Amino acid sequence: MDSNIMKEKIIHKGAEATLYYGSWFDKEVIFKYRIPKKYRIEELDKTIRNDRTLNEARALIRVKDYGLNVPQVYEIDTKNSIIVMKYIEGEKLRNALESLDNSRKEEIFKEIGRYIAILHMNGHIHGDITTSNIILTKNHKIFFIDFGLHEYSDSIEDKSVDLHLLKRILISTHGKDFNMCFNAFLRGYHQEYCKEATEECRQIIKNIDVIETRGRYVKKEERL
Amino acid sequence: MDSHKKICLGIESTAHTFGVGVLDFEGNVYSLVNDIFTPKEGGLHPVLVKEHHLNNFMITIKNALSKANCSIKDISLIAFSDSPGLGQVLKIGALIARMLSQILKIPIIGVNHCIAHIEIGRLMCNIEDPLTLYVSGGNTIVSAFESARYQIFGETLDLSIGNMLDSFARDAGLAHPGGPKIEKLAQKSNNYLELPYIVKGMDLSFSGLYTAAKRLIESEQYGKNYNLSDVAYSVQETCFAMLTEVTERALAHTEKKEVLLTGGVAANKRLQKMIEYICKEHNARFEVVPLKYAGDNGAMIGWTGILRYKMEGGQKLSDTFIKPKERMDQITVPWRD
Repeated sequence: MDSNIMKEKIIHKGAEATLYYGSWFDKEVIFKYRIPKKYRIEELDKTIRNDRTLNEARALIRVKDYGLNVPQVYEIDTKNSIIVMKYIEGEKLRNALESLDNSRKEEIFKEIGRYIAILHMNGHIHGDITTSNIILTKNHKIFFIDFGLHEYSDSIEDKSVDLHLLKRILISTHGKDFNMCFNAFLRGYHQEYCKEATEECRQIIKNIDVIETRGRYVKKEERL
Repeated sequence: MDSHKKICLGIESTAHTFGVGVLDFEGNVYSLVNDIFTPKEGGLHPVLVKEHHLNNFMITIKNALSKANCSIKDISLIAFSDSPGLGQVLKIGALIARMLSQILKIPIIGVNHCIAHIEIGRLMCNIEDPLTLYVSGGNTIVSAFESARYQIFGETLDLSIGNMLDSFARDAGLAHPGGPKIEKLAQKSNNYLELPYIVKGMDLSFSGLYTAAKRLIESEQYGKNYNLSDVAYSVQETCFAMLTEVTERALAHTEKKEVLLTGGVAANKRLQKMIEYICKEHNARFEVVPLKYAGDNGAMIGWTGILRYKMEGGQKLSDTFIKPKERMDQITVPWRD
């Protein structure tokens, strides 16, 4: 690599990728490196890593147009499955949530709801909305990261699945705050979405319950 | 056997296995006898499974008691699987348990089958707080203990992994159970045919993969450009990679330090190798539940019954109804707090 480009240290080892902090010319950056997964065969591994790298980079660039806070992409290396992007200083919402007071929690989730609505209205599905994939910066901005499972879709089903995933994560990881946070999220989502399509929004939110009742081992009387 | 020890009889009856385990309150298992229904053709028909269990429960219980070197009078607690499973089959276990409880005048307790898989794993592998990948003919669940429950982080949205493998094997003309046969066939190939790889967050979908694999063996190319080993290899590589990916995601998310692999499909060496790999990467301890205890068995029901009994005592007879659709994340786990 160029001497202007330096990987300094590993700052996060996720399930899919390893994040290196470093510099890219005069910028502070993250190298998101989708490491080869030796547990799966090479053919499969290559396809998955390549697809997701390209997919994520494209999504990061496109969703910026809608005013979403996402890291800026500087370089894409599909051969080695690396995205070089702006370093966002902050804390994962997953870890930050605990220490926030309730009104701030509500505020944040309402804001997240608004942003996800904007994504959905424009046909973007995040694919992995979890509190680990949202960063709070010092100056109170909300950043969305990890668009590796991003998809384009206008279907109500896909949008509901996106929300359902968040709901599940909130229940399993932030159980005691779940009701407050998810309701705030839905308020924000609804408010924003209804600017354009009230009926569609209603259907998306209603469909979350339908997905739940489709799950395994749902009581007969709760099934549709 | 020490006659002062408190002994529990655990009855497993959720699907094809009628299992009886005899164990004491410290978790020493004295005997474990399974009677497994194997269909002559096709899958598990609930009525046939029910008949099989009804015809065989007496002898299975007798065998378990004699192997444990004890009499039915030594038993001081009856545990049975009350959820989830085939309704007709669950009823048999519940019926026998209620009967024994009344005749012997001893407490009775119902147990969730999925939680029992995790608890016996914790006991046998001496593991504290694992992330569990539970893969069987009925279930595909990634679970960990968080906020007082066994939370489900990922699960299948349609077929369970074992069900998918068995169904595919059946279509390919292999007899039940098909999983081990597919594993053998897969070892003979390294010709990968592309199949749908569906991961949604931490959830999985196998129905598209199943259809695609079925089409491969119905295609005109089958037997010419590729054979059954190639399809078996591709099916295994794809679905196990999916399972491993979501397990790794859940591991990164929960930051647990131990991983437990359990359920019937846990016997598959290829899957074990893949999960072991991610555990090394995340510095997590990896344990496969010993085969005897990984599949459905009575000891796991007995042990989980003991854990709950110690906290809450027995159930009223009128509360011992079956819950065929109960999810593990709906149940309190007072012994874990």
